[in-house]
Amino acid sequence: MLRTIKIDWKIPADFRTLETPFPRPERIYSGIDEIDPKTFPAFLDEIGLIGMGGGGFPASEKLWANRHSHTLVINGVECEPGSSIDKSVLLNDSLWVAAGAAACAKVVGATKVILAVQHNPEFVAEVNKLYSEFEILSFPDKYPAGAEKLILKRLTGKCPPPGSRPYEFGFLIQNVVSLRAVGRAIVDGIPVVERPLTLAMPSTGFYKNIIVPVGISVSELLDLYKLPYDSGIHLISDSGIMMGKEISKSSTIEKTTISIFILKRDVAFREERPCTRCGVCNTACPLGLHPFTLTEKIRKGKTGGNAFKGQMSECFLCGVCSAVCPSGIPLVQTLEKGKQCL
Amino acid sequence: MSVQSPFIRIGSRSSAMAAWAMLALLVPCSIYSALYDSTFVWRLIGYALLGMMAETVYTLIVKRKRRLVCMGSGFTAALIAASVPPTMPFLPMLFSILIAVWIVKLPMVGSPLRFNAAMVGRLFLMLVYPAQTVNWGTPTVDVISTATPQELYRSEGFPLEWSEWLFSKIDGTWEGLFLLVPGSPGETFPLLILLLGGLLCWKGIIGWRIPLFFLLSFSITSAVFGNSLLFNLLSAAILFSAVFIVADPVSTPMSKSGQMICGLIIGISNALIREFTFYTEAIVYAVLLGNLCAPLLDHLAFEVRGKQLQRRMRQSARD
Ligand code: SF4
Ligand code: SF4
Repeated sequence: MLRTIKIDWKIPADFRTLETPFPRPERIYSGIDEIDPKTFPAFLDEIGLIGMGGGGFPASEKLWANRHSHTLVINGVECEPGSSIDKSVLLNDSLWVAAGAAACAKVVGATKVILAVQHNPEFVAEVNKLYSEFEILSFPDKYPAGAEKLILKRLTGKCPPPGSRPYEFGFLIQNVVSLRAVGRAIVDGIPVVERPLTLAMPSTGFYKNIIVPVGISVSELLDLYKLPYDSGIHLISDSGIMMGKEISKSSTIEKTTISIFILKRDVAFREERPCTRCGVCNTACPLGLHPFTLTEKIRKGKTGGNAFKGQMSECFLCGVCSAVCPSGIPLVQTLEKGKQCL
Repeated sequence: MSVQSPFIRIGSRSSAMAAWAMLALLVPCSIYSALYDSTFVWRLIGYALLGMMAETVYTLIVKRKRRLVCMGSGFTAALIAASVPPTMPFLPMLFSILIAVWIVKLPMVGSPLRFNAAMVGRLFLMLVYPAQTVNWGTPTVDVISTATPQELYRSEGFPLEWSEWLFSKIDGTWEGLFLLVPGSPGETFPLLILLLGGLLCWKGIIGWRIPLFFLLSFSITSAVFGNSLLFNLLSAAILFSAVFIVADPVSTPMSKSGQMICGLIIGISNALIREFTFYTEAIVYAVLLGNLCAPLLDHLAFEVRGKQLQRRMRQSARD
């Protein structure tokens, strides 16, 4: 039942480069040599690590919940079209990622480390060289292949039940960028003050993977690269094309900002027409849900039924249904509202 | 102009879908027109414009909005025109288009139960003007009373070459009566229509589920009654209906499983009606029956999937 869709995206950012246009942060801690499973979560809290794959959960809690995992999965399967920051971190900062992965594996007692990456022959070959000690698992270049649920499905061989978490199966899934931050803290004693991200403006063909300090504003980034941003024509999307949110020029870069995309407004604009009942949303949904029936029920306020609850809690708001709907119905926004009815 | 994520759109847009289907429909119709009846394709386009105008008037009066290009209704009108004999006079056509657009198509937008507008228009013609609806040219041979064309084929053998299935004018006793395949202008070139159907599927205009299940169940059911598969598939509008009528997204279920079952229902009932009654145009009733089941099928599909998920959720909670 779990399927992904192909999104044509002309040029993604080059994953071989990773620039640091801003001055590197200074060493604050002394770094640690011995990793003690008891004090490590507290250390993560101290450096201020949260899930940097977009989740934003405190990493210490996640590690604590996962303390009996047998396998650590490094999630480098980014599937948001156009962005390639996970790849470039994997290639350019392999030292930190590996250190972070080793530390996390030790803390939770994992005996095996799996590196999940996107399938791209060139890239996989390089990753093989850098991470020969890990098992490498490649995923299709499609959306939403990087969702935890789909990775788990591949690992366990069956569809995970709705509402389950990876640790129930003994897997700890950590994002590449989070692991990089862990490694950075252990090796160099630098807390989470920088964020690798993809900055892109497709209309001018500008794509770059850069490391920026957390907390600077988007306009600073725009000025740095002299991007011709015009708030009337363009919009700034925080964290991707599929699941992103529109943010303003003065917003700051957070720890969870995966990418900053400057897109043309009219490309994204959709005029809502009546639903033609084509069923494309149902066909495209990676989980085989019925987005339109859900939406209809939410709009009419009939959110009581068991079937509704079952489907609603399964949906992970990936946005595929909205993207494919020929009538431009804002399905995923309605579904987001529906999540609150649960 | 506010926008919301996802900031990307994949696949076709509904405003263009009907236009593509319309183009596809024009292909067999213009070939037919070139071979047999040069004015036909212009009449077809005229009817399509009429359909569009009907929708424009409707939206102007009911919704107080001005909309000039209404491809959906144009396509409906063209479908009616392509599925009745070219000798159909203007007045009945006008009535049926107005009924299809004003009574069936537009007011039903958004309601769970929707009928295929072209088929309702067709049904109206069949009931009110039966003489013109079955008039496939001058009845020169006394086979007009045969229940189904398969019997005709069977008694005559199957004298056609493969290449003739695509285009080429056919001579012989069937000329003017049944053409290559008995049917109306749009239904004349089975293989071409199959090809177009494939194209439309590939473009994402129509789904493959309903047509495929329709064709499969139809062939199997007719085979059970001992009719030859090929004759059945190529005769009387089966492929035409599979591509242009059954696959209509508006009136069929939207869930995947619902679509498959709907295809089955239409196919089986079509074969049954053909076998046991004297209607050669059983497709109209079969499609309307399928439309009737659509809301139920959608509801069932939703409930079943939801229950399935809930069961799995409870199971995992127990473990
Ligand atoms: S957002 Fe849409 S496509 Fe994605 S899981 Fe939910 S219903 Fe399915
Ligand atoms: S894809 Fe859009 S138009 Fe088609 S059934 Fe879903 S909501 Fe309706």
